[in-house]
Formats: sequence, structure tokens, C-alpha cells
Amino acid sequence: MENLKERLKHILIDEIKLQGVTPADIKDDQPMFGEGLGLDSLDAVELVVLIQKHFGVQIADMDEGKKAFASIASLADYIQEHRG
Amino acid sequence: MRDFGKKQVKDGARPSASGRWQQLEALGHSCFYLTMRLFGLTGAYLLLVPVVVVYLLGSREIYRRTRPYLRRRFPGRGRWGLWQATFKNVHSFGRVLVDRAWLGIGRKRAFQGETIGYERLLKLVAEGKGVVLLTAHVGNWQTALAHLEQLPVPVHALMHYDQEAVAKHYFDLSPGRRPFHIISTDGPLGGMVEATAALQRGEVVTIMGDRLVKGASVTADFLGEPARFPAAAYVLAGCVGAPVAAMFAAKTGRRSYRLWIRDVWYPRWQDREQRAAACQASGARFACNLQEHVDEYPYQWYNFYDFWQQ
Repeated sequence: MENLKERLKHILIDEIKLQGVTPADIKDDQPMFGEGLGLDSLDAVELVVLIQKHFGVQIADMDEGKKAFASIASLADYIQEHRG
Repeated sequence: MRDFGKKQVKDGARPSASGRWQQLEALGHSCFYLTMRLFGLTGAYLLLVPVVVVYLLGSREIYRRTRPYLRRRFPGRGRWGLWQATFKNVHSFGRVLVDRAWLGIGRKRAFQGETIGYERLLKLVAEGKGVVLLTAHVGNWQTALAHLEQLPVPVHALMHYDQEAVAKHYFDLSPGRRPFHIISTDGPLGGMVEATAALQRGEVVTIMGDRLVKGASVTADFLGEPARFPAAAYVLAGCVGAPVAAMFAAKTGRRSYRLWIRDVWYPRWQDREQRAAACQASGARFACNLQEHVDEYPYQWYNFYDFWQQ
């Protein structure tokens, strides 16, 4: 699980291009959208595509997204639960 | 008694100005529906002419709303010329509303539609990457969207949806099922997660490419001046690898309309640094297509606000 969280942090930094942030700066329970890491709705598009690309997991709607996008920890939980 | 009277006003027992306006609007709609049922489409079109004239004589607001576009579209025209253009613009919009209501009461066969580029759209759908269908508030666009129910995959409309509006969408009035599923932009993250998932499943997502409500935008020249267009459609398409198809509608005759797939392209970028430039290029391409359309159908532009200030 720790590896998965680290991988997600690297994806955010390398592919979503979070600027001036290192993996160590991102707390596992920090909110990803809004005032947390500052991601917005366009970042959500990229994130949904990246989760599908890297883990083969689809986030179909905000009923699922709300839970998954709460933090790195909850996204890792969601991926763990849904990947085959 | 006096206190009771005051309380009535305070509690909103009397309708507010917007409430009264809504009641008046509802009354106007009822009159048109009654006229349509009694005298058919022709009766409603005839009723429309005096209604538009009275509206133009009594409302300054409509000039404020139409002038930003009409001055740019017809730069050489004087006051009388612009009044005529305003009449044609508002009258054309009224006809679209009448047509929409006519379709809404189940008279689908009353209109003949033609789609130019439909085969091309079918080929794009068959690629299985999803399609972002970018349209605009021109022509009878709701009729255009209704036409998409023949596509072999589900169609979604990413839009703001006012369920309380008096001027119901034709698909709310129609007795059959809705031709598409609405993804509300009022939801969390503006409906972008649902739109992305739909494209990943190879489905079609229609977006209004000319209405910037919130979120990221690109600036492109439109009728000679820079205007802002929403960027979400290009980000969606680029991330998922879907094509963008620009589709516009026009009413071409009393009982005919036409849809065009005017252009198709794939927004692409290698990394995020290139994304802004790719979206900018897409916005400029859409603006160019839209301008070609309003060059051809100048009175079928229905963004009644200062588009260049949005």
C-alpha cells in the first residue's frame, strides 16, 4: 500500500506537474482538490485517464470520484479495491 | 391589518419582480401553445411577428443584449439597419422557440432535417475513442441534439440544466425518452469526471463551445475582436485521445433545418507544457468555424449578452 501511495505521488508530480512539490511534501490524508493540493476540474480529467492508464481502474462518476479523490490514501484504497 | 399587510410582503406572499416576470413568461408560453393547438405552426409564426415588434418597442434590454454581436457582425449599419437586424435576430429566435414547442407536443414529422457529414461522424464513433461534439448557441441547436439519438452509442450533453425554467427544453416537453443523457456542469468538478468516463467508454459527449460559465478558457479572435471560449472540451478530447467535431445547426426554411459537421480535429500535446498552446489552437479553430457559420446565417446567433466580455 505504501508503494502505491508513493507511486501516486510521483504520478501527480511528474504527469499532472504539481510545481514546487516533492513526494515528501504530500501528506497521505491531504485533500487533492481545492485548497489541498490545488487540483482543479481539468486536472481531474487527467487524473481519471492516468488512473485508467497505470492501474486499469476506471472512475466512472463523482459518486465514486468523491470517495477516491478525497486524498492520496483514499485514492490508493480505491485502486486497491478495484483493480483486478 | 396594516401589520398583516406588511408581513405578506416580507414573507414573499406577493410575487417578486422576477416572480411576476416568470408568471408573465408562463402566460406568454401558454398563449403560444394554445395558438399552436388551434391554428397550427402557421398560426404561431403569425402571432410571433406582432409579439416581437411590441417587444422591441417596449424593451431597451434586448438592444443592450443584441448590439455587441450585431455591431460587430454588421459594422456599417446605422440605427435603422441595426433595428432591422435586431428584429430579424429576435424573430429568428422566436421561430426556433416555436419549432421547439411544436416538436415538444409531438409533431416530429413536421420538419425535414439534413445532416451534412453524418457518415463522417459515424466513422469517428466507430473508432471507439469517444467523440467530443462541440456545438454552439446558433440555429435550432436543440433539434440538432435530438437528431443524435440515431447514433449507435449513448450521447451525453455536458450542460447547465435549469429544471425550473419556464422555457423548457424540447426534450422535457416531448412525451418520449430523452435523446441524450445530461451531465450537469453544476455537479462536483463540473461533471468532468463523468464526461471523461463516457469518452473512455467510446461514447459521445456534446459540449457548448461558445458558453464560458466557469473554469479555464482560451482567447481567440471572433468577428475581429478577441473573445474567450471554454477550454474544457479540448482538454477532455486531448487527454482521452478523442476527436473534436464542430457541429452547427441552422434553420434553412419554414419546415427544414440542417446540421453540419464542419470540422474535425484531434487536440494533441506531448506534455503538459504544450497543453495550453494546443488548447489555444483548438479554440482558434473553433472560433474560425463558428465565424464561417454566422457569416452564412447571421441572424441565427442566440448568445444574447456581450459575448466579448464573457
